[in-house]
Amino acid sequence: MPAALLGDVELTDSEAKTRSRALNQFLAGVELKAFKIAQAALRHEDDALDAVQDAMLQLARAYADRPAEEWRPLFYRILENRIRDMQRRRTVRGRVIAWLPFRGDDEDEEPDPIAQAPSPEPQPVRRLELDEAMVALERALGELPRRQQQAFMLRTLEGLDVAQTATAMGCSEGSVKTHYFRAVQALRAQLGDLYT
Amino acid sequence: MNPVNETVTQFERNARALLEESVSRIDARTRSRLTQARHAALEAAGTRRPRWLSSFTLMPAASAAGAALLVAFVLWHRQPAGELPLEGRSAPVEDIDLLADGEALDLIEGWDGPFYEWATAQTDASGESDG
Repeated sequence: MPAALLGDVELTDSEAKTRSRALNQFLAGVELKAFKIAQAALRHEDDALDAVQDAMLQLARAYADRPAEEWRPLFYRILENRIRDMQRRRTVRGRVIAWLPFRGDDEDEEPDPIAQAPSPEPQPVRRLELDEAMVALERALGELPRRQQQAFMLRTLEGLDVAQTATAMGCSEGSVKTHYFRAVQALRAQLGDLYT
Repeated sequence: MNPVNETVTQFERNARALLEESVSRIDARTRSRLTQARHAALEAAGTRRPRWLSSFTLMPAASAAGAALLVAFVLWHRQPAGELPLEGRSAPVEDIDLLADGEALDLIEGWDGPFYEWATAQTDASGESDG
């Protein structure tokens, strides 16, 4: 007898618990990388968190009943749509604000003194090297055209294959390969061979 | 494998390592917020109403529409009790003819109300005396 519900499907209690556990495990596995991808695209921590949260919610509500192997590309498709919406809204807002006679900097967003405070621990050379390489990579990623950045992050960080990336990006596999190739070329031209 | 592809592969490997390092450095506050978001999403998925229950929300509207249709159907086909059915559908047309007829209006103008009231009273009185 149906006793519980996940997404749009009625399940028995044990099925629902198993499904919920699987979804929890899946989301826990992608949330940090998803945040990083959203942050690279939006360049704003709170917006990136909002985008990931919305994507989680929509996946859980609408697609929880789909086979678990479909979740990853679906989740990233939702996330990419959300990121695109936010970027569009931001563009519109930017145009409106540009016309306003008085506009100040975001005075509310004062830097957190604790976050700004230098760590008392001495930074090893290796860590500094990593920091520098990471900053350089993130900056270069930020300068990539959106589709190239998207293809690179999904393939490299999330490890999606070409077909899954195509689903997530809503384009053909050929386009994914093109965007990815161009992204790698652009990054290499800017960064040389990265060291780790 | 040619050297160019090998270099690209090495580049990708290094880039992935850097990005993963970057992910591992995400601060505790952000991690906590992501965990909260995940729990909220799972809760939302688990508390959705079943489809069959959701359909109950449409029941009042559906019931009202059904009732209205039923009433319309009954009124359309209902024959008033104790009255002879009108022959065909010419009755409304006849009514219109009567109203349009000038002589009929003349009859109405010559209506002698007091006489008919008196006649009715007489009839009722004789009926009572007979009973």
